[in-house]
Amino acid sequence: MVGISTDIIYAAAMDSELVPPGLTYLADNIISRQNILGVTKEQSARWAQNLDLPRQAETIFFAGCGYQFSAQLEILMSLARGIDKSVIGAELPMRFARFQKKLGLNLPGIYSSVLSRGSETEVKPLEAAVNVLRNLGIQPGYLAEEEPCCGAPLNHAGLQTKFADNARQAYDKLKSFGVKQVIGIVPYCTHAISSLFPLYVDGYDLEVRHFLEVVAEKIPSYKLRFPRKVKVTYHDPCQLVRYMSLVEEPRRILGAIEGIELVEPDWTRGEWATCCGGGGGFETVFPELSQVLAVNRASELLETGAEIIVTHCPGCIMQLKDGLRELKIDGVEVLDLSQVVATAMET
Amino acid sequence: MKKTSNFKSYKKEIMEAAHDDRLRLALSRAVKSFRSNVKNALEKFPHTVDMAEEVRQIKEGAITRMEELARQAIAAIEENKGKGYIARTVDEALEIIADLTGTKKLVVKGKTMTGEEIGLREYLEEKGNEVYETDLGEFIIQKMGSRPMHILSPSIHVPREDVARLFSKIMGQEIAPDSDIADLVAAAREYLRDKFFHADVGISGANVVAAETGTLFIIENEGNIRLATGAPPVHIALVGMEKLVPALSDAYKVSEVTWRYANYTIPSYVSLVSGPSKTGDIEKVITYGAHGPREFHVIFLDGGRTRLARYPKLAQALYCLRCGGCLYECPIFAVTAGHFGDKYFAGIGAVWAAIINEDIEKAASIAYTCLTCGRCRQRCPMKIDVPEMIIELRKLLAEGDSADARN
Ligand code: SF4
Repeated sequence: MVGISTDIIYAAAMDSELVPPGLTYLADNIISRQNILGVTKEQSARWAQNLDLPRQAETIFFAGCGYQFSAQLEILMSLARGIDKSVIGAELPMRFARFQKKLGLNLPGIYSSVLSRGSETEVKPLEAAVNVLRNLGIQPGYLAEEEPCCGAPLNHAGLQTKFADNARQAYDKLKSFGVKQVIGIVPYCTHAISSLFPLYVDGYDLEVRHFLEVVAEKIPSYKLRFPRKVKVTYHDPCQLVRYMSLVEEPRRILGAIEGIELVEPDWTRGEWATCCGGGGGFETVFPELSQVLAVNRASELLETGAEIIVTHCPGCIMQLKDGLRELKIDGVEVLDLSQVVATAMET
Repeated sequence: MKKTSNFKSYKKEIMEAAHDDRLRLALSRAVKSFRSNVKNALEKFPHTVDMAEEVRQIKEGAITRMEELARQAIAAIEENKGKGYIARTVDEALEIIADLTGTKKLVVKGKTMTGEEIGLREYLEEKGNEVYETDLGEFIIQKMGSRPMHILSPSIHVPREDVARLFSKIMGQEIAPDSDIADLVAAAREYLRDKFFHADVGISGANVVAAETGTLFIIENEGNIRLATGAPPVHIALVGMEKLVPALSDAYKVSEVTWRYANYTIPSYVSLVSGPSKTGDIEKVITYGAHGPREFHVIFLDGGRTRLARYPKLAQALYCLRCGGCLYECPIFAVTAGHFGDKYFAGIGAVWAAIINEDIEKAASIAYTCLTCGRCRQRCPMKIDVPEMIIELRKLLAEGDSADARN
């Protein structure tokens, strides 16, 4: 590989026709704008506007893309699914990025109109997480628009050379802000920074922990109560449970909250949890199939009789909500674990 | 890049399968019973879990010396008066088997994934032979003109009413659509019975082969393979080179782990075949072809396996025991069955498509269909890391297969 510029490899890869355009779309955005949707960085750090998080700190909270852009991603997905199911169907999602241009869809425009509506929904889990950390006596910093992108979708697309480049740059950036510890929340980002970066970064010495680990460690000494008695089920995100082995932590956290009764599927729990159908950008490549899988997973979880489905991944939340919508289920909520803990701390 | 497939038709096929409610129902039932059977089998024989670890080590060692083991096995088989061959390519394997079989012959076949891989049945038919699949599932698939949808239960997607309709047609007698499954099984048994005894050639695969003695271990429940490899005068076995392990005791362990993770406490039959049938009962003169086959031929297929073994991250695909467990844990397989795959199914199928079959488009389709959710790895007795292989494969697809990807 010596002597060949990574840009040439990248250009060839994007032209290879073998990488699905759904993934090249995300990849392009990461490379050009350091986030999966290609919006401006200022737009992305908005969720933290009123939180007064220090911009420089040894321990930072890494927000990632998923939660911040969940409203936009929902729009993107409903468009993609609409196209995928339509008559023109079959090949289009693979050609999604190009097709979007042909249709004259102005995605960045649509995204920013969502953003300017000041939609509340997408920021909640992040705010909740920061509040929880603060309540536990941890005061993290946040790099806001300076936060680098972890680049995980590059890895998933097979664009390892670009991923490696990005990992080194992101690492250097974190270091340049004096970061020593990272508390991650988005499963993909956290896994990428903690386990994939070291493969490409010489002298890697960041300490990365996932929000769940931090909370599970501190939680036993706090009194937590959910405002009402509820049956709750937990959906394990693949990355957390099978890549980072966080099986017991979420259960310990939920178990520590008075008023919550945890009910789980017989088989498909913990390490055996079924993927929501949103693995690694899959939803952009196979929008319709991804929805079938979302419906399946939602059904498995509904069989427990739970009133709230708790999970801990922006992708899973989006998928499971979509699954419930397709099943026409009202009255069952999908919440992020951070929201549940934050609520239980308020009461 | 030998063959190319097209993503558009692949995706259409996948989505049609995903909207097929009957398929979904059949699969969800199969998944349920498979999981509970495996659980029971492992609870009853808990040592299997440690044994699986041992088997992984056996396979790790064996894959690095497939060639040497194949030669050792061939020497042993020839000492037993059988004949052994190494086929470098699919074409070579087909040619060897076609030459041994000849033309206008009646051939009975046991289920062999490797046979499926090289298109053996179709090839022999083209050469003017009459070939019968004798595994019930394969038989149904053959007669339907369809392709297998699961490595252990090829006709997993076909409901009984469809089987009754099919049998009525081919057997020339009316079989009621609401017939008991037992009646369907009896009908197939009767139809195939005399084929076994009139066949000129019986063909099988093997689950594992002990190189030191050249012994094939063949695991089955139906008993069709015992008949197919026992009744005809010639037995031809086609075996992928990755199936070789050094010792008899290794082969036994591989077998036990295979059937246990394939959801059986114990299968009905395990045949150990090391040579042709012989007797010395008349004047101590060894004569071949007593009650079993007079001729015994074993073809070890390379067909890209030694190439695959050179990719550090992909070589683990060769440890696969074909227990089928991962398929039952795959959320995509659960709605599409073997439509998500090529010759081999689900995520691991992408590796076979890319390196063994060299069908790059197909490999890309499968590789980018995999969720990399990792539940298959959880199930796999060999702890094969399918997501790791998928990401590596995507890298090869996207950035090109450079020499530093190989050893
Ligand atoms: S990959 Fe593992 S689980 Fe799947 S068939 Fe092979 S041995 Fe069994």
